[in-house]
Amino acid sequence: MIENFSVDHIDVYINGEKILDNLSFSVQPGEMLGIIGPNGAGKSTLLKVILGVIKPQNGTVEMTHSDTRPIVGYVPQSRAIDEEMPIQTWDFISLGLPHRIRPWLTKKDRILIKETMELTDTSRLAKKSIGKLSGGEKQRVFLAQALVRNPDVLLLDESTANLDPKAQEEITSLVQELCTEQHISTLFISHDIHLVAKYAHRVLYLTRGHYSVGRAQDIIENANMDVLYQPQHVHDALQTSVENRRYGG
Amino acid sequence: MLHYDFMQHAFIAGTIVAIMCGAIGVFVMARGLSFITHSFSHIGFSGASFATYVGWDPLEGLLLFTTVGALAIGRMGVKFFRREASISVMLSVFLGLGILFLSLSTQSGSFTSTILFGSVVGISSRDVWVIVVLTVVLLCLLTLGYKMLKFDSFDPVGAEAAGLPIRFISVAFLLLLSIGVAEAVQIVGALLVFALMTIPASTARHITQSVFKMIVVSAVLAVLGIWVGLTLSYMTNAPVSFYITAFEALCYFLALGWSSLKAKFQPIGT
Repeated sequence: MIENFSVDHIDVYINGEKILDNLSFSVQPGEMLGIIGPNGAGKSTLLKVILGVIKPQNGTVEMTHSDTRPIVGYVPQSRAIDEEMPIQTWDFISLGLPHRIRPWLTKKDRILIKETMELTDTSRLAKKSIGKLSGGEKQRVFLAQALVRNPDVLLLDESTANLDPKAQEEITSLVQELCTEQHISTLFISHDIHLVAKYAHRVLYLTRGHYSVGRAQDIIENANMDVLYQPQHVHDALQTSVENRRYGG
Repeated sequence: MLHYDFMQHAFIAGTIVAIMCGAIGVFVMARGLSFITHSFSHIGFSGASFATYVGWDPLEGLLLFTTVGALAIGRMGVKFFRREASISVMLSVFLGLGILFLSLSTQSGSFTSTILFGSVVGISSRDVWVIVVLTVVLLCLLTLGYKMLKFDSFDPVGAEAAGLPIRFISVAFLLLLSIGVAEAVQIVGALLVFALMTIPASTARHITQSVFKMIVVSAVLAVLGIWVGLTLSYMTNAPVSFYITAFEALCYFLALGWSSLKAKFQPIGT
Protein backbone atom coordinates (compact mmCIF):
# COMPACT_ATOMS: atom_id res chain seq x y z
CA MET A 1 0.00 0.00 0.00
CA ILE A 2 1.15 3.52 -0.75
CA GLU A 3 2.25 5.49 2.31
CA ASN A 4 2.33 8.95 0.86
CA PHE A 5 1.13 10.44 -2.41
CA SER A 6 1.39 14.17 -2.74
CA VAL A 7 1.93 16.82 -5.37
CA ASP A 8 4.07 19.61 -3.92
CA HIS A 9 4.16 23.12 -5.36
CA ILE A 10 4.48 22.14 -9.00
CA ASP A 11 4.79 24.64 -11.84
CA VAL A 12 4.45 23.47 -15.44
CA TYR A 13 5.10 25.61 -18.50
CA ILE A 14 4.21 24.40 -21.99
CA ASN A 15 5.45 26.49 -24.94
CA GLY A 16 6.26 29.30 -22.53
CA GLU A 17 2.76 29.37 -21.06
CA LYS A 18 2.18 28.54 -17.40
CA ILE A 19 -0.29 25.65 -17.26
CA LEU A 20 0.02 24.61 -13.61
CA ASP A 21 0.92 27.22 -11.00
CA ASN A 22 2.20 26.22 -7.57
CA LEU A 23 -0.22 23.27 -7.36
CA SER A 24 -0.22 21.19 -4.18
CA PHE A 25 -2.49 18.44 -2.89
CA SER A 26 -2.31 14.94 -1.48
CA VAL A 27 -4.43 11.82 -1.94
CA GLN A 28 -5.02 9.13 0.68
CA PRO A 29 -4.97 5.36 -0.02
CA GLY A 30 -8.42 4.30 -1.25
CA GLU A 31 -9.48 7.90 -1.87
CA MET A 32 -11.04 9.06 -5.15
CA LEU A 33 -10.13 12.59 -6.17
CA GLY A 34 -12.29 13.99 -8.96
CA ILE A 35 -10.61 16.58 -11.20
CA ILE A 36 -12.80 19.13 -12.94
CA GLY A 37 -12.13 22.30 -14.88
CA PRO A 38 -12.45 23.87 -18.32
CA ASN A 39 -10.55 22.63 -21.36
CA GLY A 40 -6.92 23.76 -21.28
CA ALA A 41 -6.87 24.11 -17.49
CA GLY A 42 -4.08 21.53 -17.21
CA LYS A 43 -6.04 18.46 -16.03
CA SER A 44 -4.41 15.99 -18.45
CA THR A 45 -1.05 17.77 -18.00
CA LEU A 46 -1.31 17.07 -14.28
CA LEU A 47 -1.83 13.34 -14.91
CA LYS A 48 1.15 13.31 -17.30
CA VAL A 49 3.29 14.96 -14.61
CA ILE A 50 2.27 12.21 -12.16
CA LEU A 51 3.05 9.57 -14.79
CA GLY A 52 6.49 11.12 -15.30
CA VAL A 53 5.85 11.87 -18.99
CA ILE A 54 6.09 15.66 -18.36
CA LYS A 55 8.70 17.04 -15.96
CA PRO A 56 7.55 20.02 -13.88
CA GLN A 57 9.80 23.10 -13.92
CA ASN A 58 9.38 23.44 -10.15
CA GLY A 59 8.03 21.22 -7.41
CA THR A 60 7.84 17.45 -6.99
CA VAL A 61 5.45 14.50 -7.04
CA GLU A 62 6.08 12.41 -3.94
CA MET A 63 5.06 8.76 -3.97
CA THR A 64 6.35 6.41 -1.31
CA HIS A 65 5.45 2.77 -0.85
CA SER A 66 5.97 0.65 2.26
CA ASP A 67 7.99 -2.09 0.45
CA THR A 68 8.63 -1.37 -3.20
CA ARG A 69 8.48 1.24 -5.98
CA PRO A 70 4.94 2.60 -6.34
CA ILE A 71 3.05 1.42 -9.41
CA VAL A 72 0.82 3.80 -11.39
CA GLY A 73 -2.06 2.60 -13.60
CA TYR A 74 -3.44 4.87 -16.32
CA VAL A 75 -6.66 4.73 -18.34
CA PRO A 76 -6.90 7.33 -21.11
CA GLN A 77 -10.04 8.51 -22.90
CA SER A 78 -9.05 6.84 -26.14
CA ARG A 79 -6.25 4.69 -27.49
CA ALA A 80 -4.77 4.37 -30.96
CA ILE A 81 -5.41 0.67 -31.42
CA ASP A 82 -5.36 -0.85 -34.89
CA GLU A 83 -8.68 -2.68 -34.89
CA GLU A 84 -7.48 -4.96 -37.69
CA MET A 85 -4.70 -6.38 -35.56
CA PRO A 86 -5.65 -9.74 -34.03
CA ILE A 87 -5.01 -9.08 -30.37
CA GLN A 88 -7.39 -10.83 -28.01
CA THR A 89 -8.72 -9.18 -24.87
CA TRP A 90 -6.85 -11.66 -22.66
CA ASP A 91 -3.58 -10.95 -24.46
CA PHE A 92 -4.22 -7.19 -24.30
CA ILE A 93 -4.77 -7.25 -20.53
CA SER A 94 -1.59 -9.31 -20.07
CA LEU A 95 0.40 -6.42 -21.62
CA GLY A 96 -0.17 -4.47 -18.40
CA LEU A 97 1.71 -6.98 -16.20
CA PRO A 98 4.96 -5.68 -14.70
CA HIS A 99 7.70 -6.17 -17.26
CA ARG A 100 10.22 -8.92 -17.04
CA ILE A 101 12.60 -10.29 -19.65
CA ARG A 102 10.86 -13.70 -19.55
CA PRO A 103 8.74 -13.83 -22.74
CA TRP A 104 6.13 -16.27 -21.44
CA LEU A 105 3.48 -15.94 -18.71
CA THR A 106 3.86 -17.83 -15.44
CA LYS A 107 1.03 -19.61 -13.59
CA LYS A 108 0.99 -16.67 -11.14
CA ASP A 109 0.60 -14.21 -14.04
CA ARG A 110 -2.31 -16.23 -15.46
CA ILE A 111 -4.08 -16.31 -12.08
CA LEU A 112 -3.61 -12.55 -11.71
CA ILE A 113 -5.07 -11.91 -15.19
CA LYS A 114 -8.03 -14.24 -14.48
CA GLU A 115 -8.77 -12.52 -11.15
CA THR A 116 -8.54 -9.05 -12.69
CA MET A 117 -10.89 -10.09 -15.50
CA GLU A 118 -13.39 -11.39 -12.96
CA LEU A 119 -13.18 -8.16 -10.96
CA THR A 120 -13.77 -6.00 -14.02
CA ASP A 121 -16.39 -8.34 -15.52
CA THR A 122 -14.35 -8.94 -18.67
CA SER A 123 -13.98 -12.77 -18.40
CA ARG A 124 -16.63 -13.34 -21.08
CA LEU A 125 -14.61 -11.15 -23.48
CA ALA A 126 -11.35 -13.10 -23.00
CA LYS A 127 -11.19 -14.64 -26.48
CA LYS A 128 -12.68 -11.69 -28.36
CA SER A 129 -10.51 -9.43 -30.47
CA ILE A 130 -10.10 -6.00 -28.86
CA GLY A 131 -11.17 -4.31 -32.10
CA LYS A 132 -14.57 -6.06 -31.99
CA LEU A 133 -15.60 -4.74 -28.55
CA SER A 134 -18.12 -1.97 -27.83
CA GLY A 135 -16.97 1.33 -26.27
CA GLY A 136 -18.04 0.28 -22.76
CA GLU A 137 -16.40 -3.14 -23.07
CA LYS A 138 -13.17 -1.54 -24.28
CA GLN A 139 -13.07 0.83 -21.31
CA ARG A 140 -13.50 -2.13 -18.95
CA VAL A 141 -10.61 -3.89 -20.71
CA PHE A 142 -8.41 -0.75 -20.48
CA LEU A 143 -9.27 -0.56 -16.78
CA ALA A 144 -8.38 -4.26 -16.36
CA GLN A 145 -5.02 -3.67 -18.08
CA ALA A 146 -4.26 -0.83 -15.63
CA LEU A 147 -5.41 -2.91 -12.63
CA VAL A 148 -3.49 -6.08 -13.53
CA ARG A 149 -0.31 -4.28 -12.44
CA ASN A 150 -1.75 -4.00 -8.89
CA PRO A 151 -1.37 -0.22 -8.97
CA ASP A 152 -1.03 1.97 -5.90
CA VAL A 153 -2.22 4.99 -7.85
CA LEU A 154 -4.83 4.93 -10.63
CA LEU A 155 -5.25 7.79 -13.10
CA LEU A 156 -8.36 8.04 -15.26
CA ASP A 157 -8.26 10.71 -17.96
CA GLU A 158 -11.89 11.22 -19.06
CA SER A 159 -11.93 7.46 -19.48
CA THR A 160 -15.73 7.26 -19.58
CA ALA A 161 -16.32 10.37 -21.69
CA ASN A 162 -17.32 8.47 -24.84
CA LEU A 163 -19.82 6.21 -23.10
CA ASP A 164 -23.54 6.46 -22.49
CA PRO A 165 -24.61 7.62 -18.99
CA LYS A 166 -25.44 4.06 -17.83
CA ALA A 167 -22.01 2.71 -18.82
CA GLN A 168 -20.33 5.78 -17.24
CA GLU A 169 -22.07 5.07 -13.95
CA GLU A 170 -21.27 1.35 -14.07
CA ILE A 171 -17.56 1.87 -14.69
CA THR A 172 -17.11 4.74 -12.23
CA SER A 173 -18.97 2.80 -9.54
CA LEU A 174 -16.75 -0.24 -10.26
CA VAL A 175 -13.63 1.93 -9.97
CA GLN A 176 -14.81 3.34 -6.66
CA GLU A 177 -15.52 -0.14 -5.29
CA LEU A 178 -12.14 -1.52 -6.38
CA CYS A 179 -10.22 1.50 -5.14
CA THR A 180 -11.79 1.32 -1.72
CA GLU A 181 -11.26 -2.46 -1.46
CA GLN A 182 -7.67 -2.38 -2.72
CA HIS A 183 -6.66 0.98 -1.15
CA ILE A 184 -5.78 2.52 -4.52
CA SER A 185 -5.40 6.30 -4.59
CA THR A 186 -7.42 7.37 -7.62
CA LEU A 187 -7.51 10.60 -9.63
CA PHE A 188 -10.23 10.86 -12.24
CA ILE A 189 -10.85 13.66 -14.70
CA SER A 190 -14.42 14.17 -15.80
CA HIS A 191 -16.60 16.87 -17.29
CA ASP A 192 -19.65 15.15 -15.82
CA ILE A 193 -20.40 17.04 -12.62
CA HIS A 194 -23.06 14.48 -11.59
CA LEU A 195 -20.52 11.69 -11.77
CA VAL A 196 -17.87 13.62 -9.85
CA ALA A 197 -20.33 14.74 -7.18
CA LYS A 198 -21.60 11.20 -6.71
CA TYR A 199 -18.32 9.23 -6.67
CA ALA A 200 -15.43 11.53 -5.73
CA HIS A 201 -14.48 11.74 -2.07
CA ARG A 202 -12.89 15.11 -2.79
CA VAL A 203 -12.65 17.36 -5.85
CA LEU A 204 -9.77 19.31 -7.37
CA TYR A 205 -11.09 22.24 -9.41
CA LEU A 206 -8.48 23.50 -11.86
CA THR A 207 -8.66 26.68 -13.86
CA ARG A 208 -5.71 28.20 -15.69
CA GLY A 209 -3.34 29.28 -12.93
CA HIS A 210 -5.74 28.66 -10.02
CA TYR A 211 -7.04 25.66 -8.16
CA SER A 212 -9.09 24.60 -5.17
CA VAL A 213 -9.40 21.24 -3.43
CA GLY A 214 -12.08 20.10 -1.06
CA ARG A 215 -15.32 18.19 -0.57
CA ALA A 216 -17.43 17.87 -3.71
CA GLN A 217 -20.33 19.99 -2.51
CA ASP A 218 -18.05 22.77 -1.20
CA ILE A 219 -16.03 22.97 -4.40
CA ILE A 220 -19.04 22.83 -6.71
CA GLU A 221 -20.85 25.41 -4.57
CA ASN A 222 -17.97 27.88 -4.44
CA ALA A 223 -16.36 27.47 -7.83
CA ASN A 224 -17.35 29.71 -10.69
CA MET A 225 -18.84 26.98 -12.81
CA ASP A 226 -21.07 29.18 -14.93
CA VAL A 227 -18.23 29.56 -17.38
CA LEU A 228 -18.04 25.83 -17.72
CA TYR A 229 -21.33 24.20 -17.07
CA GLN A 230 -25.00 25.10 -17.14
CA PRO A 231 -26.00 26.46 -13.70
CA GLN A 232 -29.00 24.10 -13.57
CA HIS A 233 -26.70 21.08 -13.97
CA VAL A 234 -24.47 22.32 -11.17
CA HIS A 235 -27.47 22.81 -8.94
CA ASP A 236 -28.84 19.33 -9.74
CA ALA A 237 -25.45 17.72 -9.18
CA LEU A 238 -24.99 19.46 -5.89
CA GLN A 239 -28.46 18.45 -4.80
CA THR A 240 -27.83 14.79 -5.72
CA SER A 241 -24.48 14.83 -3.94
CA VAL A 242 -25.91 16.31 -0.74
CA GLU A 243 -28.85 13.89 -0.79
CA ASN A 244 -26.59 10.90 -1.40
CA ARG A 245 -24.41 11.82 1.51
CA ARG A 246 -27.43 12.48 3.73
CA TYR A 247 -29.32 9.31 2.84
CA GLY A 248 -26.38 7.07 1.93
CA GLY A 249 -27.27 6.81 -1.80
CA MET B 1 17.75 -30.71 -56.73
CA LEU B 2 19.13 -30.90 -53.17
CA HIS B 3 22.29 -32.73 -54.19
CA TYR B 4 23.69 -29.42 -55.47
CA ASP B 5 25.61 -27.43 -52.84
CA PHE B 6 24.22 -24.13 -54.07
CA MET B 7 20.63 -25.39 -53.65
CA GLN B 8 21.38 -26.67 -50.13
CA HIS B 9 22.82 -23.25 -49.23
CA ALA B 10 19.83 -21.52 -50.80
CA PHE B 11 17.34 -23.65 -48.83
CA ILE B 12 19.17 -23.23 -45.50
CA ALA B 13 19.79 -19.48 -45.85
CA GLY B 14 16.34 -18.86 -47.36
CA THR B 15 14.54 -20.75 -44.57
CA ILE B 16 16.41 -18.90 -41.83
CA VAL B 17 15.88 -15.50 -43.40
CA ALA B 18 12.18 -16.33 -43.94
CA ILE B 19 11.68 -17.23 -40.26
CA MET B 20 13.31 -13.95 -39.27
CA CYS B 21 11.30 -11.90 -41.80
CA GLY B 22 8.03 -13.59 -40.80
CA ALA B 23 8.60 -12.90 -37.09
CA ILE B 24 9.88 -9.35 -37.39
CA GLY B 25 7.22 -8.56 -40.01
CA VAL B 26 4.43 -8.83 -37.41
CA PHE B 27 5.95 -5.94 -35.47
CA VAL B 28 6.66 -4.02 -38.68
CA MET B 29 2.92 -4.16 -39.46
CA ALA B 30 1.82 -3.40 -35.89
CA ARG B 31 4.14 -0.37 -35.71
CA GLY B 32 3.18 0.87 -39.20
CA LEU B 33 6.75 0.67 -40.47
CA SER B 34 6.22 -1.12 -43.78
CA PHE B 35 7.39 1.79 -45.92
CA ILE B 36 10.32 2.51 -43.63
CA THR B 37 11.31 -1.13 -44.23
CA HIS B 38 11.15 -0.42 -47.94
CA SER B 39 13.39 2.63 -47.40
CA PHE B 40 15.90 0.45 -45.52
CA SER B 41 16.20 -1.85 -48.50
CA HIS B 42 17.06 1.13 -50.72
CA ILE B 43 19.56 2.38 -48.14
CA GLY B 44 20.96 -1.17 -48.19
CA PHE B 45 21.27 -1.08 -51.97
CA SER B 46 23.46 2.03 -51.80
CA GLY B 47 25.41 0.38 -48.93
CA ALA B 48 26.12 -2.73 -51.02
CA SER B 49 27.15 -0.57 -53.97
CA PHE B 50 29.42 1.49 -51.73
CA ALA B 51 31.01 -1.73 -50.39
CA THR B 52 31.69 -2.85 -53.94
CA TYR B 53 33.20 0.52 -54.80
CA VAL B 54 35.61 0.44 -51.83
CA GLY B 55 36.31 -3.29 -52.18
CA TRP B 56 34.38 -4.63 -49.16
CA ASP B 57 31.98 -7.55 -48.89
CA PRO B 58 28.48 -6.34 -49.93
CA LEU B 59 26.99 -7.52 -46.59
CA GLU B 60 29.37 -5.20 -44.71
CA GLY B 61 28.18 -2.23 -46.75
CA LEU B 62 24.56 -3.30 -46.34
CA LEU B 63 24.90 -3.55 -42.55
CA LEU B 64 26.81 -0.28 -42.25
CA PHE B 65 24.30 1.76 -44.25
CA THR B 66 21.13 0.21 -42.82
CA THR B 67 22.23 0.42 -39.17
CA VAL B 68 23.40 4.04 -39.58
CA GLY B 69 20.07 4.70 -41.33
CA ALA B 70 18.20 3.11 -38.38
CA LEU B 71 20.04 5.29 -35.87
CA ALA B 72 19.35 8.42 -37.95
CA ILE B 73 15.64 7.57 -38.23
CA GLY B 74 15.50 6.77 -34.51
CA ARG B 75 17.22 10.06 -33.68
CA MET B 76 14.99 12.20 -35.89
CA GLY B 77 11.83 10.32 -34.98
CA VAL B 78 9.83 7.71 -36.88
CA LYS B 79 6.95 10.17 -37.40
CA PHE B 80 9.14 12.36 -39.61
CA PHE B 81 10.06 9.41 -41.83
CA ARG B 82 6.47 8.15 -42.07
CA ARG B 83 5.60 11.24 -44.09
CA GLU B 84 5.03 10.40 -47.72
CA ALA B 85 7.39 13.16 -48.91
CA SER B 86 10.22 12.06 -46.59
CA ILE B 87 9.95 8.47 -47.81
CA SER B 88 10.00 9.40 -51.49
CA VAL B 89 13.03 11.68 -50.94
CA MET B 90 14.89 8.91 -49.11
CA LEU B 91 14.08 6.25 -51.68
CA SER B 92 15.25 8.45 -54.54
CA VAL B 93 18.43 9.71 -52.84
CA PHE B 94 19.66 6.28 -51.81
CA LEU B 95 18.77 4.65 -55.12
CA GLY B 96 20.68 7.47 -56.82
CA LEU B 97 23.67 7.01 -54.48
CA GLY B 98 23.66 3.27 -55.20
CA ILE B 99 23.76 3.93 -58.93
CA LEU B 100 26.59 6.45 -58.43
CA PHE B 101 28.74 3.99 -56.44
CA LEU B 102 28.09 1.25 -59.00
CA SER B 103 29.10 3.51 -61.87
CA LEU B 104 32.31 4.40 -60.00
CA SER B 105 33.14 0.76 -59.33
CA THR B 106 34.18 -1.85 -61.87
CA GLN B 107 31.31 -4.25 -61.17
CA SER B 108 29.21 -5.63 -63.98
CA GLY B 109 25.48 -5.18 -64.48
CA SER B 110 24.80 -8.66 -63.06
CA PHE B 111 25.91 -7.41 -59.64
CA THR B 112 23.28 -4.65 -59.79
CA SER B 113 20.67 -7.22 -60.66
CA THR B 114 21.80 -9.47 -57.76
CA ILE B 115 21.49 -6.67 -55.19
CA LEU B 116 18.20 -5.34 -56.56
CA PHE B 117 16.47 -8.67 -57.15
CA GLY B 118 18.46 -11.10 -54.98
CA SER B 119 20.30 -14.26 -55.81
CA VAL B 120 19.62 -17.28 -53.69
CA VAL B 121 21.70 -19.49 -55.93
CA GLY B 122 24.90 -17.52 -55.41
CA ILE B 123 25.14 -18.03 -51.63
CA SER B 124 28.39 -19.52 -50.35
CA SER B 125 28.72 -21.66 -47.23
CA ARG B 126 30.39 -18.65 -45.52
CA ASP B 127 27.32 -16.52 -46.35
CA VAL B 128 25.10 -19.22 -44.83
CA TRP B 129 27.07 -19.13 -41.58
CA VAL B 130 26.96 -15.33 -41.40
CA ILE B 131 23.18 -15.40 -42.00
CA VAL B 132 22.68 -18.14 -39.36
CA VAL B 133 24.66 -16.25 -36.71
CA LEU B 134 22.99 -12.90 -37.43
CA THR B 135 19.50 -14.46 -37.43
CA VAL B 136 20.07 -16.36 -34.17
CA VAL B 137 21.30 -13.16 -32.47
CA LEU B 138 18.40 -11.19 -33.90
CA LEU B 139 15.76 -13.76 -32.86
CA CYS B 140 17.26 -14.03 -29.34
CA LEU B 141 17.07 -10.24 -28.93
CA LEU B 142 13.51 -10.28 -30.27
CA THR B 143 12.58 -13.00 -27.75
CA LEU B 144 14.17 -11.13 -24.84
CA GLY B 145 12.39 -7.91 -25.73
CA TYR B 146 9.17 -9.65 -26.82
CA LYS B 147 6.90 -8.44 -23.99
CA MET B 148 8.02 -4.83 -24.16
CA LEU B 149 8.00 -4.76 -27.96
CA LYS B 150 4.52 -6.31 -28.04
CA PHE B 151 3.18 -3.73 -25.55
CA ASP B 152 4.72 -0.78 -27.38
CA SER B 153 3.67 -2.07 -30.82
CA PHE B 154 0.07 -2.95 -30.01
CA ASP B 155 -0.73 -0.33 -27.34
CA PRO B 156 1.72 2.60 -27.53
CA VAL B 157 -0.30 4.83 -25.18
CA GLY B 158 -0.50 2.10 -22.53
CA ALA B 159 3.22 1.34 -22.91
CA GLU B 160 4.22 4.96 -22.35
CA ALA B 161 1.90 5.23 -19.36
CA ALA B 162 3.34 2.02 -17.89
CA GLY B 163 6.77 3.68 -17.91
CA LEU B 164 8.34 1.59 -20.70
CA PRO B 165 11.42 3.16 -22.32
CA ILE B 166 9.54 3.75 -25.58
CA ARG B 167 12.29 5.77 -27.27
CA PHE B 168 14.83 3.02 -26.58
CA ILE B 169 12.41 0.32 -27.78
CA SER B 170 11.79 2.25 -30.98
CA VAL B 171 15.49 2.71 -31.81
CA ALA B 172 16.36 -0.87 -30.78
CA PHE B 173 13.63 -2.25 -33.04
CA LEU B 174 14.79 -0.10 -35.97
CA LEU B 175 18.31 -1.48 -35.47
CA LEU B 176 17.03 -5.08 -35.45
CA LEU B 177 14.96 -4.32 -38.53
CA SER B 178 17.96 -2.80 -40.33
CA ILE B 179 20.02 -5.95 -39.66
CA GLY B 180 17.12 -8.12 -40.82
CA VAL B 181 16.78 -6.11 -44.03
CA ALA B 182 20.54 -6.33 -44.70
CA GLU B 183 20.32 -10.14 -44.42
CA ALA B 184 17.21 -10.50 -46.51
CA VAL B 185 18.49 -8.25 -49.32
CA GLN B 186 21.03 -10.95 -50.18
CA ILE B 187 18.27 -13.51 -50.70
CA VAL B 188 15.31 -11.69 -52.20
CA GLY B 189 16.97 -8.45 -53.25
CA ALA B 190 16.51 -4.84 -52.22
CA LEU B 191 13.28 -4.41 -54.15
CA LEU B 192 11.54 -7.46 -52.64
CA VAL B 193 12.55 -7.38 -48.96
CA PHE B 194 9.40 -5.39 -48.51
CA ALA B 195 7.37 -8.37 -49.76
CA LEU B 196 8.89 -10.91 -47.37
CA MET B 197 8.68 -8.54 -44.40
CA THR B 198 5.09 -7.43 -44.87
CA ILE B 199 2.95 -9.86 -46.93
CA PRO B 200 3.20 -12.98 -44.68
CA ALA B 201 2.44 -10.85 -41.58
CA SER B 202 -0.51 -9.18 -43.36
CA THR B 203 -1.85 -12.60 -44.35
CA ALA B 204 -1.46 -13.95 -40.81
CA ARG B 205 -3.45 -10.99 -39.49
CA HIS B 206 -6.52 -12.27 -41.35
CA ILE B 207 -6.33 -15.88 -40.19
CA THR B 208 -5.21 -15.75 -36.55
CA GLN B 209 -6.53 -14.41 -33.28
CA SER B 210 -3.42 -13.79 -31.20
CA VAL B 211 -0.04 -12.10 -31.56
CA PHE B 212 1.97 -15.27 -30.93
CA LYS B 213 -0.05 -17.27 -33.48
CA MET B 214 0.36 -14.40 -35.94
CA ILE B 215 4.16 -14.64 -35.58
CA VAL B 216 4.08 -18.43 -36.10
CA VAL B 217 1.76 -18.28 -39.14
CA SER B 218 3.71 -15.39 -40.65
CA ALA B 219 7.02 -17.27 -40.29
CA VAL B 220 5.50 -20.48 -41.74
CA LEU B 221 4.09 -18.61 -44.74
CA ALA B 222 7.42 -16.89 -45.38
CA VAL B 223 9.26 -20.24 -45.22
CA LEU B 224 6.72 -21.87 -47.55
CA GLY B 225 7.16 -18.96 -49.97
CA ILE B 226 10.92 -19.48 -50.08
CA TRP B 227 10.58 -23.27 -50.55
CA VAL B 228 7.96 -22.93 -53.27
CA GLY B 229 10.00 -20.17 -54.97
CA LEU B 230 13.24 -22.14 -54.94
CA THR B 231 11.60 -25.34 -56.18
CA LEU B 232 9.68 -23.70 -59.02
CA SER B 233 12.64 -21.55 -59.97
CA TYR B 234 14.84 -24.66 -60.17
CA MET B 235 12.25 -26.41 -62.33
CA THR B 236 11.46 -23.54 -64.67
CA ASN B 237 14.58 -21.34 -64.61
CA ALA B 238 12.41 -18.26 -63.91
CA PRO B 239 13.55 -15.79 -61.18
CA VAL B 240 12.98 -17.10 -57.66
CA SER B 241 11.77 -13.68 -56.41
CA PHE B 242 8.84 -13.80 -58.82
CA TYR B 243 7.61 -17.11 -57.40
CA ILE B 244 8.12 -15.97 -53.79
CA THR B 245 6.09 -12.79 -54.26
CA ALA B 246 3.44 -14.57 -56.37
CA PHE B 247 2.99 -17.25 -53.68
CA GLU B 248 2.82 -14.71 -50.83
CA ALA B 249 0.37 -12.53 -52.77
CA LEU B 250 -1.84 -15.55 -53.54
CA CYS B 251 -1.91 -16.51 -49.84
CA TYR B 252 -2.74 -12.91 -48.93
CA PHE B 253 -5.72 -12.66 -51.29
CA LEU B 254 -7.02 -16.09 -50.21
CA ALA B 255 -6.80 -15.05 -46.53
CA LEU B 256 -8.47 -11.73 -47.30
CA GLY B 257 -11.32 -13.51 -49.11
CA TRP B 258 -11.71 -16.04 -46.32
CA SER B 259 -11.76 -13.31 -43.68
CA SER B 260 -14.38 -11.31 -45.65
CA LEU B 261 -16.56 -14.41 -46.07
CA LYS B 262 -16.25 -15.21 -42.38
CA ALA B 263 -17.31 -11.68 -41.45
CA LYS B 264 -20.24 -11.83 -43.89
CA PHE B 265 -21.66 -15.06 -42.51
CA GLN B 266 -20.87 -14.42 -38.87
CA PRO B 267 -24.06 -14.10 -36.78
CA ILE B 268 -24.67 -10.53 -35.57
CA GLY B 269 -23.50 -9.85 -32.02
CA THR B 270 -20.75 -12.48 -31.92
